[in-house]
Amino acid sequence: MTSILPLVARRILISVVILFVVSALLFCILRLLPVDPAAMSLPPNATLAEIEVKRHEMGLDQPLFRQYLIWLGQVLHGDFGTSIHFRRGVAGLIGSTLPATIELALLAMLIAGTLGIAGGLFMFHVRGTPKEPIADTGSIVLLSLPEFLWGLFFILLFGVALELLPFTGRLSAGFQRPVVTGFLLLDTLLVGRPDMFANALKHMILPAFALGIAFSPTIMRVLRSSLIDVYQEDYIHQVRLRGLSERRILIRHGLKNAILPTLSLMGVQFGFLFGGTLLIEVIYSYPGLGNLMVDAVRNADLPIIQSVGLTYCVVVLTINTVVDSLYVILNPKLRIA
Amino acid sequence: MNTWPAWLRSGRVLLGLGIVALVALIALFAPLLAPNDPNEQNLISTFLPPAWAKGGETVFPLGTDSLGRCVLSRLIYGARIAMTVALVASFGAMLIGAVLAHVAGYFGGWVDWLIGRTVDVWMSFPPVILSLILMVGLGTGLRNVILAIVLVDWTRFCRVLRAEVLVVTRRDYVAAARLIGFSHWRTVTREILPATMPLLITLLSLEMGIAVIVEAILSFVGMSVGATTPAWGQMIADARQYIYDSPWNLVFPILLIFITVLGFNVLGDGLRRTLDVRLTETKRA
Repeated sequence: MTSILPLVARRILISVVILFVVSALLFCILRLLPVDPAAMSLPPNATLAEIEVKRHEMGLDQPLFRQYLIWLGQVLHGDFGTSIHFRRGVAGLIGSTLPATIELALLAMLIAGTLGIAGGLFMFHVRGTPKEPIADTGSIVLLSLPEFLWGLFFILLFGVALELLPFTGRLSAGFQRPVVTGFLLLDTLLVGRPDMFANALKHMILPAFALGIAFSPTIMRVLRSSLIDVYQEDYIHQVRLRGLSERRILIRHGLKNAILPTLSLMGVQFGFLFGGTLLIEVIYSYPGLGNLMVDAVRNADLPIIQSVGLTYCVVVLTINTVVDSLYVILNPKLRIA
Repeated sequence: MNTWPAWLRSGRVLLGLGIVALVALIALFAPLLAPNDPNEQNLISTFLPPAWAKGGETVFPLGTDSLGRCVLSRLIYGARIAMTVALVASFGAMLIGAVLAHVAGYFGGWVDWLIGRTVDVWMSFPPVILSLILMVGLGTGLRNVILAIVLVDWTRFCRVLRAEVLVVTRRDYVAAARLIGFSHWRTVTREILPATMPLLITLLSLEMGIAVIVEAILSFVGMSVGATTPAWGQMIADARQYIYDSPWNLVFPILLIFITVLGFNVLGDGLRRTLDVRLTETKRA
């Protein structure tokens, strides 16, 4: 155990450094923007002198590096600025939308993982049989459909044509949203409203499946190829000679060794999936971080774009750090530091 | 007997090439193929269904959108944006990614460290978010869409190719080339590049599919080309608003994006299977 901690600590340290670089990069890109944040945060009839005062107040007359430091200082104190468009604190806006996105991403990842592992096992199972080309073709077709096309397709099929499931928002009209933790599924259970929980879950089925299906084929393919690699090892041959059933070999020896690379890939995939929520949210009018971001982009609402962009990076970096640390803990081969 | 190179005999490669060539030809000859002006509005005949459905008109083979514009013509012109972005952006991303990958993998040391960490920083942005932020900074327009995709997706090439270069650089023949006095430039271009080329071409083909998707995403949220240029993502965004008036308008662009991306993916998969030396070696063994 002693050798794990320094490795994990090192990984966390690297992530923090990356985060600082990312924030600087983000700041620089957004300073390319040909709009004046000071002028935009004032009413249209503001005089030039008023704009100048505001510019000074916002620190916009300082050199770029100083501006970055000012912004960084504020962010580190939890001050994400005020939205130019909504005239509300950005921290509050993010706080109220981030849980929704995390909920969606987690549910989608659960679906992607389940489908991916099931599909990978199936693809491995049919290798070398006449069914193999079918499984291969299936996985390429799946790979060619990005999440937002799945999202639209589901809306057309299950929402419009079959009218089975809702496809806008998080709750049907008439429900009063409880706010305890901000996570809707959790909150509806906490206030003891199973009917509302069911309603919220129903609203999440289509967006979560659209995201989950889109990210499953990569998991399938990696699990299949790592299973094929593992099955070429001597120990598989050896347990087979010992007379273990194929089923037992697969679960106890094959899957146990092949799952590590798959889990590590799923971590990377989760990062991409988290970015994928953006479009799914827009398509399903799901009130999360993605819709906040797209609204901000359309309104050139700089404080929101900057902070939401940073939030996405923080989440992705956190996921990657956790997954990498888990990888070290789960994989005995990596423990010799 | 058969003198054709192996990759041209693969069914997947031919199918992929066929689909891609078809879309490329449609894009190229858009003015000849489109039955109507893609931007011409016919406000008395909005939301017409396709010609074969009840109430459809033969003038608009695939019907009309919310402003009465011809859906087929818009799809055909939309192929121009999609294919331009797919070709130019992926070549740009490939160029940056491949050069950095070869520099990093070949020289190693601090150069490798620096490039590796840059990739790490890039990878902590979800690609969609980074391209969106870049579009905010750069402003809309075809050139900026391409630039944004290049600036986001070069890491896809760099990460994968660097590992390959690292393996190839350790081979004996590369050391031999250095020993007989090949310059670094000559060693990389004559000895290493031929070995990494199959992977590079495969990645390029897959990247073209990704570029089509990213452009569609950006134009869906209105951050791609201007409103007067028809683009598939834009058509989808428009149709999403009027989904009950005309579900057809949503079906066609989805189908076209899917077929185009499928073409690039099948091509890439076929190339990977036929060009990947390791894959053929394990089959023989």
